[in-house]
Amino acid sequence: MVSKKVKITNELGIHARPATKLVRIASSGKSQVSLIKDNQRANAQSILGVMLLEAISGSSIIIEVEGEDEEMVLEKLVRLINNNFEED
Amino acid sequence: MSEISISIKEILQDQARSLKLRELAGSNGLNRPVKQKDLHRPGLAFTGFTESFPHDRIQILGDTEILYLRQLDKDSRRKALNYLLHFEIPCIIITGKHRVLKVMKELADEKNIPLLSTSLSISEISFLLTNYLNTRFAPSVRIHGTLVDVYGTGLLFIGRAGIGKSEIALDLVERGHRLVADDVVDLICKPPGVLIGSGPDMLKHLIEIRGVGVLNVCNMFGVRAIRLQKRVETVVELTDWDGEQDYERLGLDEQHTEYLGMNIPLIRLPIYPGKIITVIAEAIALNHHLKVYGFNAAQDLNRKLNARLRDKTRIVDYLKWDDE
Repeated sequence: MVSKKVKITNELGIHARPATKLVRIASSGKSQVSLIKDNQRANAQSILGVMLLEAISGSSIIIEVEGEDEEMVLEKLVRLINNNFEED
Repeated sequence: MSEISISIKEILQDQARSLKLRELAGSNGLNRPVKQKDLHRPGLAFTGFTESFPHDRIQILGDTEILYLRQLDKDSRRKALNYLLHFEIPCIIITGKHRVLKVMKELADEKNIPLLSTSLSISEISFLLTNYLNTRFAPSVRIHGTLVDVYGTGLLFIGRAGIGKSEIALDLVERGHRLVADDVVDLICKPPGVLIGSGPDMLKHLIEIRGVGVLNVCNMFGVRAIRLQKRVETVVELTDWDGEQDYERLGLDEQHTEYLGMNIPLIRLPIYPGKIITVIAEAIALNHHLKVYGFNAAQDLNRKLNARLRDKTRIVDYLKWDDE
Protein backbone atom coordinates (compact mmCIF):
# COMPACT_ATOMS: atom_id res chain seq x y z
CA MET A 1 0.00 0.00 0.00
CA VAL A 2 1.17 3.51 -0.80
CA SER A 3 -0.16 6.76 0.56
CA LYS A 4 0.47 10.46 0.34
CA LYS A 5 -0.85 13.58 2.00
CA VAL A 6 -1.80 16.35 -0.41
CA LYS A 7 -3.24 19.82 -0.04
CA ILE A 8 -6.30 20.88 -2.01
CA THR A 9 -5.54 24.22 -3.64
CA ASN A 10 -8.17 24.81 -6.30
CA GLU A 11 -10.61 27.63 -5.65
CA LEU A 12 -13.72 25.89 -4.38
CA GLY A 13 -12.21 22.57 -3.26
CA ILE A 14 -13.59 19.19 -4.33
CA HIS A 15 -16.95 20.09 -5.83
CA ALA A 16 -18.82 18.06 -8.41
CA ARG A 17 -16.47 18.42 -11.38
CA PRO A 18 -13.19 17.78 -9.55
CA ALA A 19 -14.90 14.84 -7.85
CA THR A 20 -15.85 13.44 -11.26
CA LYS A 21 -12.26 13.72 -12.51
CA LEU A 22 -10.86 12.19 -9.33
CA VAL A 23 -13.25 9.25 -9.41
CA ARG A 24 -12.51 8.64 -13.08
CA ILE A 25 -8.79 8.25 -12.37
CA ALA A 26 -9.36 6.26 -9.17
CA SER A 27 -11.53 3.83 -11.15
CA SER A 28 -9.20 3.56 -14.12
CA GLY A 29 -6.64 1.22 -12.56
CA LYS A 30 -6.75 -2.11 -10.80
CA SER A 31 -6.16 -0.74 -7.29
CA GLN A 32 -8.47 0.21 -4.46
CA VAL A 33 -8.29 3.89 -3.59
CA SER A 34 -9.37 5.62 -0.39
CA LEU A 35 -9.37 9.28 0.55
CA ILE A 36 -9.02 10.27 4.18
CA LYS A 37 -9.85 13.72 5.47
CA ASP A 38 -9.78 14.38 9.21
CA ASN A 39 -11.40 11.19 10.51
CA GLN A 40 -13.53 10.57 7.46
CA ARG A 41 -12.67 7.89 4.97
CA ALA A 42 -14.20 7.67 1.50
CA ASN A 43 -13.93 5.10 -1.27
CA ALA A 44 -12.49 7.13 -4.12
CA GLN A 45 -14.52 5.16 -6.65
CA SER A 46 -17.76 6.43 -5.12
CA ILE A 47 -18.53 9.87 -6.42
CA LEU A 48 -21.07 10.70 -3.73
CA GLY A 49 -18.63 9.57 -1.03
CA VAL A 50 -15.92 11.82 -2.44
CA MET A 51 -18.27 14.80 -2.62
CA LEU A 52 -19.35 14.22 0.97
CA LEU A 53 -15.79 14.82 2.23
CA GLU A 54 -16.46 18.52 1.62
CA ALA A 55 -12.77 19.09 1.07
CA ILE A 56 -12.41 22.85 0.73
CA SER A 57 -9.44 24.76 -0.59
CA GLY A 58 -6.60 24.64 1.89
CA SER A 59 -7.60 21.34 3.47
CA SER A 60 -5.38 18.28 3.36
CA ILE A 61 -6.36 14.79 2.36
CA ILE A 62 -4.50 11.50 2.49
CA ILE A 63 -4.68 9.30 -0.60
CA GLU A 64 -4.27 5.58 0.06
CA VAL A 65 -3.85 3.20 -2.86
CA GLU A 66 -3.57 -0.54 -2.68
CA GLY A 67 -3.19 -2.89 -5.63
CA GLU A 68 -0.91 -3.92 -8.45
CA ASP A 69 -0.73 -0.50 -10.09
CA GLU A 70 -0.79 1.51 -6.87
CA GLU A 71 2.27 3.66 -7.66
CA MET A 72 0.90 4.74 -11.01
CA VAL A 73 -2.59 5.53 -9.73
CA LEU A 74 -1.23 7.49 -6.78
CA GLU A 75 1.03 9.51 -9.01
CA LYS A 76 -1.84 10.36 -11.36
CA LEU A 77 -4.08 11.44 -8.50
CA VAL A 78 -1.39 13.60 -6.91
CA ARG A 79 -0.74 15.23 -10.25
CA LEU A 80 -4.45 15.94 -10.74
CA ILE A 81 -4.80 17.55 -7.32
CA ASN A 82 -1.56 19.54 -7.62
CA ASN A 83 -2.72 20.82 -11.00
CA ASN A 84 -5.88 22.17 -9.33
CA PHE A 85 -7.95 19.50 -11.10
CA GLU A 86 -7.11 21.13 -14.41
CA GLU A 87 -9.73 23.79 -13.79
CA ASP A 88 -9.70 26.85 -16.01
CA MET B 1 -32.59 13.20 -51.31
CA SER B 2 -35.43 12.97 -53.78
CA GLU B 3 -37.91 15.79 -53.88
CA ILE B 4 -41.16 15.02 -52.12
CA SER B 5 -44.29 15.51 -54.17
CA ILE B 6 -47.95 14.78 -53.45
CA SER B 7 -50.78 14.80 -55.96
CA ILE B 8 -54.02 16.67 -55.41
CA LYS B 9 -55.74 13.30 -55.68
CA GLU B 10 -53.77 12.04 -52.66
CA ILE B 11 -54.63 15.11 -50.63
CA LEU B 12 -58.30 14.56 -51.43
CA GLN B 13 -58.11 10.88 -50.51
CA ASP B 14 -56.45 11.67 -47.18
CA GLN B 15 -58.13 14.89 -46.22
CA ALA B 16 -61.33 15.51 -48.23
CA ARG B 17 -63.46 14.63 -45.23
CA SER B 18 -61.62 16.48 -42.49
CA LEU B 19 -60.95 19.54 -44.63
CA LYS B 20 -64.51 19.42 -46.03
CA LEU B 21 -63.18 19.63 -49.57
CA ARG B 22 -65.39 19.30 -52.65
CA GLU B 23 -64.31 19.06 -56.26
CA LEU B 24 -65.88 21.71 -58.47
CA ALA B 25 -63.96 21.61 -61.73
CA GLY B 26 -60.67 20.81 -63.38
CA SER B 27 -60.86 17.11 -62.51
CA ASN B 28 -58.44 16.26 -65.30
CA GLY B 29 -55.73 17.99 -63.34
CA LEU B 30 -56.03 15.92 -60.18
CA ASN B 31 -52.64 14.33 -60.80
CA ARG B 32 -50.94 17.69 -60.56
CA PRO B 33 -48.12 17.54 -58.04
CA VAL B 34 -47.74 19.71 -54.97
CA LYS B 35 -44.07 20.21 -54.21
CA GLN B 36 -44.37 23.10 -51.77
CA LYS B 37 -45.75 22.89 -48.28
CA ASP B 38 -46.66 26.58 -48.10
CA LEU B 39 -50.01 27.98 -49.17
CA HIS B 40 -50.66 31.26 -50.94
CA ARG B 41 -53.47 33.79 -51.12
CA PRO B 42 -53.17 35.30 -54.58
CA GLY B 43 -54.77 38.69 -53.87
CA LEU B 44 -52.69 41.03 -56.00
CA ALA B 45 -52.16 38.47 -58.77
CA PHE B 46 -55.73 39.21 -59.93
CA THR B 47 -54.72 42.79 -60.66
CA GLY B 48 -52.00 41.58 -63.00
CA PHE B 49 -49.12 42.00 -60.56
CA THR B 50 -47.59 38.56 -60.90
CA GLU B 51 -43.97 39.35 -60.25
CA SER B 52 -42.54 36.76 -57.85
CA PHE B 53 -45.94 35.07 -57.82
CA PRO B 54 -45.45 31.68 -56.07
CA HIS B 55 -47.29 29.62 -58.68
CA ASP B 56 -46.05 26.30 -57.29
CA ARG B 57 -48.15 26.65 -54.14
CA ILE B 58 -51.77 25.76 -53.51
CA GLN B 59 -53.77 28.95 -53.97
CA ILE B 60 -56.46 29.77 -51.43
CA LEU B 61 -59.17 32.29 -52.17
CA GLY B 62 -60.95 34.04 -49.32
CA ASP B 63 -63.66 36.64 -49.10
CA THR B 64 -61.41 39.43 -50.38
CA GLU B 65 -60.51 37.67 -53.61
CA ILE B 66 -64.06 36.50 -54.30
CA LEU B 67 -65.60 39.92 -53.61
CA TYR B 68 -62.99 41.55 -55.80
CA LEU B 69 -63.79 39.22 -58.69
CA ARG B 70 -67.53 39.70 -58.17
CA GLN B 71 -67.43 43.46 -58.57
CA LEU B 72 -65.56 43.24 -61.89
CA ASP B 73 -67.43 43.16 -65.19
CA LYS B 74 -67.41 39.95 -67.18
CA ASP B 75 -64.38 40.66 -69.35
CA SER B 76 -62.23 42.03 -66.56
CA ARG B 77 -63.16 39.06 -64.43
CA ARG B 78 -61.95 36.61 -67.08
CA LYS B 79 -58.82 38.67 -67.52
CA ALA B 80 -58.15 38.75 -63.76
CA LEU B 81 -58.59 35.00 -63.50
CA ASN B 82 -56.33 34.45 -66.47
CA TYR B 83 -53.49 36.27 -64.76
CA LEU B 84 -53.59 33.48 -62.21
CA LEU B 85 -54.59 30.52 -64.32
CA HIS B 86 -52.04 30.88 -67.05
CA PHE B 87 -49.54 29.65 -64.46
CA GLU B 88 -49.19 25.93 -63.82
CA ILE B 89 -50.65 26.12 -60.32
CA PRO B 90 -51.36 22.88 -58.41
CA CYS B 91 -54.92 23.75 -57.40
CA ILE B 92 -57.27 26.47 -56.19
CA ILE B 93 -59.35 26.23 -53.04
CA ILE B 94 -62.30 28.53 -52.46
CA THR B 95 -63.21 29.01 -48.84
CA GLY B 96 -66.39 29.95 -47.09
CA LYS B 97 -69.89 29.77 -48.46
CA HIS B 98 -69.45 31.64 -51.71
CA ARG B 99 -71.28 30.69 -54.86
CA VAL B 100 -68.64 29.80 -57.40
CA LEU B 101 -68.32 31.98 -60.46
CA LYS B 102 -69.18 30.18 -63.66
CA VAL B 103 -66.20 31.56 -65.50
CA MET B 104 -63.90 30.12 -62.87
CA LYS B 105 -65.21 26.62 -63.46
CA GLU B 106 -64.90 27.05 -67.23
CA LEU B 107 -61.31 28.24 -66.99
CA ALA B 108 -60.35 25.54 -64.47
CA ASP B 109 -61.73 22.86 -66.81
CA GLU B 110 -60.03 24.43 -69.78
CA LYS B 111 -56.59 24.61 -68.06
CA ASN B 112 -57.02 21.38 -66.12
CA ILE B 113 -56.41 23.06 -62.82
CA PRO B 114 -58.41 21.46 -60.00
CA LEU B 115 -60.89 23.84 -58.42
CA LEU B 116 -61.97 22.83 -54.93
CA SER B 117 -64.21 24.38 -52.34
CA THR B 118 -64.42 24.01 -48.61
CA SER B 119 -66.99 25.16 -46.08
CA LEU B 120 -64.22 25.89 -43.59
CA SER B 121 -63.08 29.44 -42.99
CA ILE B 122 -59.82 30.61 -44.52
CA SER B 123 -57.97 30.46 -41.20
CA GLU B 124 -59.28 26.97 -40.44
CA ILE B 125 -58.34 25.53 -43.82
CA SER B 126 -54.96 27.28 -43.77
CA PHE B 127 -54.12 25.87 -40.34
CA LEU B 128 -55.31 22.34 -41.05
CA LEU B 129 -53.88 22.07 -44.55
CA THR B 130 -50.53 23.54 -43.47
CA ASN B 131 -50.41 21.05 -40.61
CA TYR B 132 -51.11 18.18 -43.01
CA LEU B 133 -48.57 19.38 -45.59
CA ASN B 134 -45.94 19.97 -42.90
CA THR B 135 -46.27 16.34 -41.89
CA ARG B 136 -46.21 15.09 -45.47
CA PHE B 137 -43.20 17.21 -46.40
CA ALA B 138 -41.38 16.64 -43.11
CA PRO B 139 -37.87 15.24 -43.46
CA SER B 140 -37.89 11.59 -42.43
CA VAL B 141 -35.47 8.79 -41.77
CA ARG B 142 -35.82 5.08 -41.03
CA ILE B 143 -33.62 3.76 -38.25
CA HIS B 144 -32.86 0.53 -36.42
CA GLY B 145 -34.18 0.80 -32.87
CA THR B 146 -37.15 0.35 -30.56
CA LEU B 147 -39.53 3.08 -29.46
CA VAL B 148 -41.57 2.72 -26.27
CA ASP B 149 -43.78 5.17 -24.41
CA VAL B 150 -42.68 4.86 -20.78
CA TYR B 151 -44.82 6.91 -18.37
CA GLY B 152 -45.55 9.25 -21.28
CA THR B 153 -41.89 9.76 -22.20
CA GLY B 154 -40.82 8.52 -25.64
CA LEU B 155 -37.71 6.40 -25.10
CA LEU B 156 -35.87 5.32 -28.23
CA PHE B 157 -33.59 2.36 -27.58
CA ILE B 158 -30.69 1.91 -29.95
CA GLY B 159 -27.70 -0.43 -29.95
CA ARG B 160 -26.24 -3.34 -31.87
CA ALA B 161 -28.49 -6.14 -33.11
CA GLY B 162 -29.02 -8.76 -30.43
CA ILE B 163 -28.21 -6.54 -27.45
CA GLY B 164 -31.75 -6.94 -26.15
CA LYS B 165 -33.83 -4.01 -27.34
CA SER B 166 -36.86 -6.18 -28.11
CA GLU B 167 -36.62 -8.01 -24.77
CA ILE B 168 -36.57 -4.67 -22.96
CA ALA B 169 -39.60 -3.52 -24.97
CA LEU B 170 -41.47 -6.71 -24.05
CA ASP B 171 -40.55 -6.29 -20.40
CA LEU B 172 -41.73 -2.68 -20.45
CA VAL B 173 -45.03 -3.70 -22.08
CA GLU B 174 -45.48 -6.31 -19.32
CA ARG B 175 -45.08 -3.50 -16.80
CA GLY B 176 -47.86 -1.48 -18.41
CA HIS B 177 -45.96 0.71 -20.86
CA ARG B 178 -46.79 1.09 -24.53
CA LEU B 179 -44.92 -0.11 -27.58
CA VAL B 180 -44.72 2.20 -30.57
CA ALA B 181 -42.35 0.26 -32.83
CA ASP B 182 -39.77 -2.49 -32.51
CA ASP B 183 -36.74 -2.97 -34.74
CA VAL B 184 -37.67 -0.45 -37.43
CA VAL B 185 -38.64 3.09 -36.44
CA ASP B 186 -39.63 5.82 -38.88
CA LEU B 187 -38.72 9.25 -37.59
CA ILE B 188 -40.12 12.48 -38.92
CA CYS B 189 -39.22 16.02 -37.98
CA LYS B 190 -42.30 18.06 -37.22
CA PRO B 191 -41.65 21.77 -37.30
CA PRO B 192 -40.63 23.65 -35.30
CA GLY B 193 -38.61 20.91 -33.62
CA VAL B 194 -40.44 17.80 -32.54
CA LEU B 195 -39.19 14.37 -33.51
CA ILE B 196 -42.02 11.89 -34.00
CA GLY B 197 -41.47 8.15 -34.30
CA SER B 198 -43.80 5.47 -35.59
CA GLY B 199 -43.60 1.97 -37.02
CA PRO B 200 -44.11 0.84 -40.62
CA ASP B 201 -47.67 -0.44 -41.15
CA MET B 202 -46.56 -3.97 -42.06
CA LEU B 203 -44.71 -4.41 -38.79
CA LYS B 204 -47.25 -2.64 -36.60
CA HIS B 205 -46.73 -3.74 -33.03
CA LEU B 206 -44.76 -6.86 -33.76
CA ILE B 207 -41.84 -7.80 -31.57
CA GLU B 208 -39.26 -10.34 -32.62
CA ILE B 209 -37.74 -12.30 -29.75
CA ARG B 210 -34.75 -14.49 -30.61
CA GLY B 211 -35.58 -18.12 -30.11
CA VAL B 212 -39.34 -17.49 -29.99
CA GLY B 213 -40.22 -15.64 -33.16
CA VAL B 214 -42.58 -12.85 -33.94
CA LEU B 215 -45.16 -11.78 -31.35
CA ASN B 216 -48.11 -9.47 -31.88
CA VAL B 217 -48.16 -7.22 -28.85
CA CYS B 218 -51.60 -5.78 -29.58
CA ASN B 219 -53.25 -9.19 -29.79
CA MET B 220 -51.32 -10.50 -26.85
CA PHE B 221 -51.69 -7.64 -24.36
CA GLY B 222 -54.55 -5.65 -25.81
CA VAL B 223 -54.85 -2.16 -27.06
CA ARG B 224 -53.45 -0.61 -23.88
CA ALA B 225 -50.03 -1.99 -24.78
CA ILE B 226 -49.60 -0.05 -28.01
CA ARG B 227 -49.38 3.44 -29.35
CA LEU B 228 -49.37 4.56 -32.98
CA GLN B 229 -46.80 7.33 -32.70
CA LYS B 230 -44.83 9.11 -30.03
CA ARG B 231 -42.52 12.07 -29.70
CA VAL B 232 -38.95 10.86 -29.19
CA GLU B 233 -37.73 12.54 -26.00
CA THR B 234 -34.68 10.58 -24.91
CA VAL B 235 -32.42 8.17 -26.78
CA VAL B 236 -31.08 5.27 -24.71
CA GLU B 237 -28.05 3.66 -26.31
CA LEU B 238 -27.44 0.17 -24.97
CA THR B 239 -23.80 -0.83 -25.05
CA ASP B 240 -21.83 -3.84 -23.94
CA TRP B 241 -20.09 -3.14 -20.64
CA ASP B 242 -16.56 -1.95 -21.20
CA GLY B 243 -14.39 -1.26 -18.14
CA GLU B 244 -12.20 1.09 -20.16
CA GLN B 245 -15.08 3.43 -20.95
CA ASP B 246 -16.10 6.41 -18.88
CA TYR B 247 -19.75 6.30 -17.97
CA GLU B 248 -21.74 9.22 -16.69
CA ARG B 249 -21.64 9.30 -12.90
CA LEU B 250 -23.50 12.42 -11.87
CA GLY B 251 -25.53 13.45 -14.90
CA LEU B 252 -24.33 17.06 -14.78
CA ASP B 253 -23.20 16.94 -18.39
CA GLU B 254 -25.97 15.93 -20.71
CA GLN B 255 -25.07 14.23 -23.94
CA HIS B 256 -27.05 14.64 -27.11
CA THR B 257 -27.44 12.86 -30.38
CA GLU B 258 -28.80 14.20 -33.62
CA TYR B 259 -31.66 13.01 -35.79
CA LEU B 260 -32.85 15.07 -38.76
CA GLY B 261 -30.97 18.06 -37.44
CA MET B 262 -32.60 17.93 -34.02
CA ASN B 263 -30.71 17.44 -30.78
CA ILE B 264 -32.16 14.73 -28.58
CA PRO B 265 -30.80 13.87 -25.09
CA LEU B 266 -28.73 10.69 -25.15
CA ILE B 267 -28.08 8.28 -22.33
CA ARG B 268 -25.41 5.65 -22.87
CA LEU B 269 -26.32 2.66 -20.78
CA PRO B 270 -23.84 -0.18 -20.35
CA ILE B 271 -25.53 -3.51 -19.80
CA TYR B 272 -24.31 -6.56 -17.97
CA PRO B 273 -25.98 -9.57 -16.37
CA GLY B 274 -28.01 -8.70 -13.33
CA LYS B 275 -28.70 -5.14 -14.38
CA ILE B 276 -32.42 -4.51 -14.68
CA ILE B 277 -32.68 -2.24 -17.68
CA THR B 278 -36.46 -2.00 -17.50
CA VAL B 279 -36.41 -0.40 -14.07
CA ILE B 280 -33.60 1.92 -15.17
CA ALA B 281 -35.65 2.83 -18.26
CA GLU B 282 -38.57 3.77 -16.02
CA ALA B 283 -36.24 5.90 -13.90
CA ILE B 284 -34.88 7.60 -17.04
CA ALA B 285 -38.45 8.40 -18.12
CA LEU B 286 -39.44 9.81 -14.73
CA ASN B 287 -36.20 11.78 -14.46
CA HIS B 288 -36.96 13.27 -17.88
CA HIS B 289 -40.31 14.48 -16.54
CA LEU B 290 -38.61 16.00 -13.50
CA LYS B 291 -36.16 17.86 -15.73
CA VAL B 292 -38.99 19.14 -17.92
CA TYR B 293 -40.69 20.43 -14.77
CA GLY B 294 -37.46 22.14 -13.74
CA PHE B 295 -35.86 19.76 -11.24
CA ASN B 296 -32.45 18.29 -11.97
CA ALA B 297 -31.11 16.05 -9.21
CA ALA B 298 -27.47 16.39 -10.28
CA GLN B 299 -27.65 20.17 -10.46
CA ASP B 300 -29.47 20.30 -7.14
CA LEU B 301 -26.74 18.24 -5.42
CA ASN B 302 -24.08 20.35 -7.10
CA ARG B 303 -25.69 23.55 -5.82
CA LYS B 304 -25.94 22.25 -2.27
CA LEU B 305 -22.33 21.07 -2.22
CA ASN B 306 -21.02 24.33 -3.67
CA ALA B 307 -22.92 26.32 -1.03
CA ARG B 308 -21.45 24.16 1.73
CA LEU B 309 -17.93 24.48 0.36
CA ARG B 310 -18.29 28.26 0.06
CA ASP B 311 -19.59 28.52 3.61
CA LYS B 312 -16.73 26.48 5.01
CA THR B 313 -14.17 28.44 3.01
CA ARG B 314 -15.59 31.73 4.29
CA ILE B 315 -15.41 30.63 7.92
CA VAL B 316 -11.84 29.37 7.55
CA ASP B 317 -10.77 32.64 5.90
CA TYR B 318 -12.35 34.64 8.74
CA LEU B 319 -10.51 32.68 11.42
CA LYS B 320 -7.18 32.45 9.59
CA TRP B 321 -5.54 35.49 11.28
CA ASP B 322 -7.45 35.05 14.47
CA ASP B 323 -4.54 34.71 16.91
CA GLU B 324 -5.63 37.04 19.68
